[in-house]
Amino acid sequence: MPGMWWVVGVVVLAAIFSAYLGWTAQRVERLHTRAQSAERALDAHLMRRAAAAAVVAEQAETVELYAAARLALDAEPGERESAENDLTRQLQAVTLDPADPAARTLIATSRRVVLARQVHTDLVRDALSARRRVFVRLLRLARRYPRPEYFDIVEPVLPELPPLPSPLVVPTPAPPAEPPLPAPAR
Amino acid sequence: MRIGIVSPYSFDVPGGVQNHIMDLAEAMLELGHEVSVLAPADDDADVPAYVVSAGRAVPLPYNGSVARISFGPISTARVRRWLKQGEFDVLHVHEPFSPSLSFLAVVSARGPVVATFHTAMTRSRALAGLQNFLQPVMEKITARIAVSELARKVQVEHLGGGAVEIPNGVAVRKFASAAPLPGWPGDGGTLGFLGRFTEPRKGFPLLRTAYVTLAQERPGLRLLVAGPGDRDELYDDIPKELHDRVEFLGLVSEPDKARMLRSVDVYVAPNTGGESFGMILTEAMAAGATIAASDLDAFRRVLDGGRAGALFPNGDQASLTRLLGELLDDPARRAELASCARLAVGAFDWPSVANRVLEVYATAIEATDGRVFDDEWS
Repeated sequence: MPGMWWVVGVVVLAAIFSAYLGWTAQRVERLHTRAQSAERALDAHLMRRAAAAAVVAEQAETVELYAAARLALDAEPGERESAENDLTRQLQAVTLDPADPAARTLIATSRRVVLARQVHTDLVRDALSARRRVFVRLLRLARRYPRPEYFDIVEPVLPELPPLPSPLVVPTPAPPAEPPLPAPAR
Repeated sequence: MRIGIVSPYSFDVPGGVQNHIMDLAEAMLELGHEVSVLAPADDDADVPAYVVSAGRAVPLPYNGSVARISFGPISTARVRRWLKQGEFDVLHVHEPFSPSLSFLAVVSARGPVVATFHTAMTRSRALAGLQNFLQPVMEKITARIAVSELARKVQVEHLGGGAVEIPNGVAVRKFASAAPLPGWPGDGGTLGFLGRFTEPRKGFPLLRTAYVTLAQERPGLRLLVAGPGDRDELYDDIPKELHDRVEFLGLVSEPDKARMLRSVDVYVAPNTGGESFGMILTEAMAAGATIAASDLDAFRRVLDGGRAGALFPNGDQASLTRLLGELLDDPARRAELASCARLAVGAFDWPSVANRVLEVYATAIEATDGRVFDDEWS
């Protein structure tokens, strides 16, 4: 009976299609959750950079840098990007003392900001491209999630300080064995 | 942190990616992390304790050379079991877009995935054509690392994703502590070269001409050459009377490479182009050699703008000859350059490179579940 095969064909196609939709919905959810996590992480690292900058500014008594750090810490969401850009500009203008632990912390937090921003940008791009897919738009699969947004700041990179003398030249104590870490979520 | 690393290539055959993975794994272990490396290997192969075998590797022509890789349903099952048993905090795959264990691991993975790109793939256009197909796989990668500016460019332009540039590390201690070959460098001065001397962009003819000129006035000056190539081809272009002052080691193992670099007064890198990073320079720096190199961008960067090694204009025969003569006559300047090099190479030492990789791990974990680490990682 040709009619029955036709029905079987439609049922199989419908099953494949709904599996595809289920998979796409999961993918949309995963991408949006990740973009949100990346945003929280970026926010935290920006805060830490501003705090580290405030410490350096207090020590060196540079008023402009301290003000920029405070503004970045207190900025409203709409002003955040320009406040962070100001802070980056101030930071790129100061000369840091390689021997000062606060300066090293500042460089390290800046490096983390660069990484967090890079990953955030990538994940936002992935989430946005998933939102543009035909079925995602037609069936509004992304309606439950706020639209992720790029955090548009200049590359917050600071020049690396010259390396401290390597152990070959001056013996230095070994680094602490295991950095304390929260237990991994499983 | 529990780190799972996937190597696409078998450790049976030495190679840049494999060396990188082993050095990285050892650096991470030394920093107190738990590391497991999944790699294709025969079950009875002699591999380090942290390596888990994913079955036999089969030779497959890929990207212009023959790679020994594992691919297929059995490999997939082994990858899944390894991932399940490992309970890794972060999965670090290398070259994920080769048909390899790395690709299988990315497809099977949940959670934070970091990918390292080593080669600037020549077939990137084909890859770009597959982009739609690869997109769901790409999405699983949380953070990307490129080992050179060139690899990063390919990543950004053809695959549409950012990448952090973290250079290859060098095991400074291994190179600094190697014993020079017996009888070298000797009193008369020794010039050294490592690489495929027949390859034009390595610039060996420049060094050969310079050596022949300098050797006329300096009766003790010797030349030490290592690398793949035919012995006769090397000696053919050198005057007969100099033959016993030129030593050819052929292709050398990693430990012998370190010893060779420790055996020279001046290491010469006359490359005329095609270098994206200059790994050999960092190794020579670690070995404490004085370096004379052409002023390629990559070399200039590694040599700290010329402070950690003397630069000469790319391809300029007369300048190279003059520079080598000056360096040979001036032990104080050589020592000064070598000590600057030893300091500058610290940035490429594995512990510091591993710390930068750890920062990327942390970033990937944060972006996957929103946890933020308090630790500085450096």
